Amino acid sequence: MSKSTLLSLEQVLKTCFQSLETNQKVWNSVLLECTPLMGSLGNLGEQLRAFQKVKIANSPLHTFPDLHERLHFKLVQAVDIVLGKLTDKMCSLQQVRDAISNQVSRAFQLYEQNVDTLDLTTVTQRSAITPSIADMLEWLQDSEHYYRQQFLRRKNLFQTLRSDDVSLLETVSQRWESLGSPSGEERLSDIQHKVSFFVESQ
Amino acid sequence: MEVSLRVLPVDPVDRGTQRIRLGPGLMSSLGLRLGCPVLVALSGGSCLCSAWPRPDLADGFIQIDMKCCSPNLITKTVTPTYLTLSTHPGPTSSPLPHSPTSASPSLSITPVSCPKLKAIRVTVVVQCVEFRKTTSSSFIHELVKDMLKGMHVYNKHVIDVVDYDTDIKLIVIESLNPDSLEAGLVTSKTGVEIMGTRTLRHYRGQLEEQPRCPLGGLEEVSACLRELLRLPLLYPSTLCSLGLSCPRGVLLVGPPGVGKTLLVRRLVREVGASLVTVRGAEVVGSRPGESEERLRAVFGQARAAAEEGPCVLFLDELDSLCPRRTGSSAPENRLVAQLLTLMDGVDQSQRFLIVGATNQPESLDPALRRPGRFDREVVIGAPTVQQRFSILSLLCQAMPVCASVDLAELAKRTTGYVGADLSALCREAAMLAIQGNTQSSLEQVITMDHFTSALKMVLPSCLRSSVGQTDCPAVSWEQIGGLEEVKLKLQQSIEWPMRYPEAFLRLGLSRPRGVLLYGPPGCAKTTLVRAAATSSHCSFLSVSGADLYSPYVGDSEKTLAQLFRQARACAPSILFLDEVDSLIGSRSEGNAPQSAQTRLLSVLLNELDGVGFRTLERRGTEQMLQAEGVVEPHQQEQLEYHQVCNKEVMIVAATNRPESLDSALLRPGRLDQVIYVPPPDLQARVSILQVCTQRMPVDGDVSLEELAGCTENYSGADLENLCKEAALLTLQEDSMEASSIKHQYFLQALQRMTPSLSVQQLQTYKQLFR
Repeated sequence: MSKSTLLSLEQVLKTCFQSLETNQKVWNSVLLECTPLMGSLGNLGEQLRAFQKVKIANSPLHTFPDLHERLHFKLVQAVDIVLGKLTDKMCSLQQVRDAISNQVSRAFQLYEQNVDTLDLTTVTQRSAITPSIADMLEWLQDSEHYYRQQFLRRKNLFQTLRSDDVSLLETVSQRWESLGSPSGEERLSDIQHKVSFFVESQ
Repeated sequence: MEVSLRVLPVDPVDRGTQRIRLGPGLMSSLGLRLGCPVLVALSGGSCLCSAWPRPDLADGFIQIDMKCCSPNLITKTVTPTYLTLSTHPGPTSSPLPHSPTSASPSLSITPVSCPKLKAIRVTVVVQCVEFRKTTSSSFIHELVKDMLKGMHVYNKHVIDVVDYDTDIKLIVIESLNPDSLEAGLVTSKTGVEIMGTRTLRHYRGQLEEQPRCPLGGLEEVSACLRELLRLPLLYPSTLCSLGLSCPRGVLLVGPPGVGKTLLVRRLVREVGASLVTVRGAEVVGSRPGESEERLRAVFGQARAAAEEGPCVLFLDELDSLCPRRTGSSAPENRLVAQLLTLMDGVDQSQRFLIVGATNQPESLDPALRRPGRFDREVVIGAPTVQQRFSILSLLCQAMPVCASVDLAELAKRTTGYVGADLSALCREAAMLAIQGNTQSSLEQVITMDHFTSALKMVLPSCLRSSVGQTDCPAVSWEQIGGLEEVKLKLQQSIEWPMRYPEAFLRLGLSRPRGVLLYGPPGCAKTTLVRAAATSSHCSFLSVSGADLYSPYVGDSEKTLAQLFRQARACAPSILFLDEVDSLIGSRSEGNAPQSAQTRLLSVLLNELDGVGFRTLERRGTEQMLQAEGVVEPHQQEQLEYHQVCNKEVMIVAATNRPESLDSALLRPGRLDQVIYVPPPDLQARVSILQVCTQRMPVDGDVSLEELAGCTENYSGADLENLCKEAALLTLQEDSMEASSIKHQYFLQALQRMTPSLSVQQLQTYKQLFR
């Protein structure tokens, strides 16, 4: 009885970790796509800064009508386009997060349903190639927490971006980079390594 | 059974996961499964966690991640090293021997059920006000919802969300829906309602539990201040609709130690306002412009706090921050100017009140003291008898005071003591009680004796640097032989008004303002005054020429005026001017009109009946005794009599050259009671000799009456000298082992001495004032 539930739970955990791995790849690729966008946002910020400093009336270009307004409009439009692209990226990040959350909560639900047949000794039993159920659940929770935290941080930064806050636009690329947590990523890959035997077993 | 658990810091990976790490053995004995929500009750509060086994499966350790805990645990950072967990709370359990558990704080872990919540209401605590302004409420809502998703929450707990690295630092759970639940799980379907946002500073300020400070005797002042604080802070719209401008600044003035700072702190907490404190010295920086910058920052801080709710900006020791502007380029001038402009810059919409406190209002810049800056000045004087009584009763509430301690009597005897002195007095008395009781393990009780000995150690702080502060030995009336009539007169004019004010009031008597004792030298004038001071238990200031004269022009006058001010501050008091003739002199005697003596005289005359007190010397409120009204307890009534009738300084002057005194000094209303201290008559000489020989072993054949008969024109001092001489003669003639003084030695001594008074001298004294 407990054997069968254990097996099914292990099966779910296995799929969970597999999807976690694929999702991680998606997440990283989206983040990679974001980097040039952030760079161009930074460029636009610099252009806006330069635009604020320049006095067109003193330059030979003053003969063009409404040049100032037009230039500003163009720059703001460019910012908006980049921001729009970034919104799409954020959406895909959110999808990744939601997918992971769903997977993890499914695994937990299964554990909750069978909690009466799985006593603590079974749950904490581990072998050389198979980590214990408790460990794996913990790792799942940790990974989910990591993605949630990352997404929240990035979204928070993204929300504060506005085309009139030039100094923020200029520094956005560095800020975006600083949001990543190397220790968290390390832990994720650690977890992947720890479960690799378990996932690959038949 | 009790289990001792060693507390370890939380692993970095567990931070923000709400996990409590326990050993698997403990988990199964408690019946916990993986991730099961448990309520952990600690000594200071509780926190909601989910149970997890330790990764190394070791028992005997505990790690708690306090992501969701009760508010008082947020500020507490110290965790004990050991916790005792009682798994079976039965009476049979006994602590293990040689376990470190006996003193360690206890802990209990109870599983709670966490059903899914329909909705919760939260308050968001953010880092700074800007975030609230710049961020849309829908985004805050989204963030909060994301942060709370999947969490177990407990009603009224605070959730720490610092690890998300946003400007939202804490989320306070205000209520859960359904109401019946104490704890629950937030899911994506749970509705989150944000009740409000507050800054971290404000929230922490409210959480901080300040020690309760007793505050006695300041009811009137605090009522006045409370009104000032409450009206503009709590009802700004009402004032607006009336077209009133609320007062924005209050200046508290009073001698050190009366409780100005304490009053402000207490009131602020009572009203529920936040407090921004500036101490003068903290603001001043070394670089030019630094002080002004800091001052601006403080005002900015107060402005930010005022947006949260009522706020008080408290400028302590204002005199050091804002001294009188002198010269043109002193660096303080810029600071003063900055403060003035900042105070003017506070507009009505910014609801913060500026309270300044100082004990030297005269050194403040006058520009600061106009309406619009410090609108109101509240003077807190040295406490009166009643105020001292209430302070003492508050202080003694917490102490095991013996029933025999008469606080009213103590209040009467502590003239001139301010609140800080009184608390020092009580502390000293308690220390004495502890010292007396260390050997015996008796119950510790503070008795009146402890208080009386403490009174000798703790002197009133307002007299501490005074020129007139003297430590005169206690003299009782019995130690002065004879002079019964003079004693009675002195008692009438000094002791009775202090002791029986109600009788004086009943008969419509007013006490004399001053007493002049004159008479030949050596007739116990000074000793008489000492006895009067001892018996009336009031503060006693004595001054002589040496204290007053100084080589600088105007210095002596200033000292005398200062002396009067101090005497008034600790009224009822006796100010004793010994040898007043040399001190003051007379204007008619051909002194140069601008000599120091003349100027001193004019100061004295002014102080004796000037137009009124300075405002700074105000003490308590003016109270009138009313014939009818509520019946108060007798003791209370007496205190009130004391307070109303004894608020003046009694001047006692002594001289042996009354003819050289200025006549203006002697008119009624100044030194109106003129008492002649005569040389002792026969009867008096007998009693003086009795007093002098009280400690001497006198032979049986010595006849004091006969001696008194032979000592016509001898003064009291002469008679004392006579006794000394006789004793010395005994030692000289007999031997060092002589055990008693014989009559013949008295006679021998008498032959060697001449009286210091002459008939002619006495005649002139008698003719004066007749």
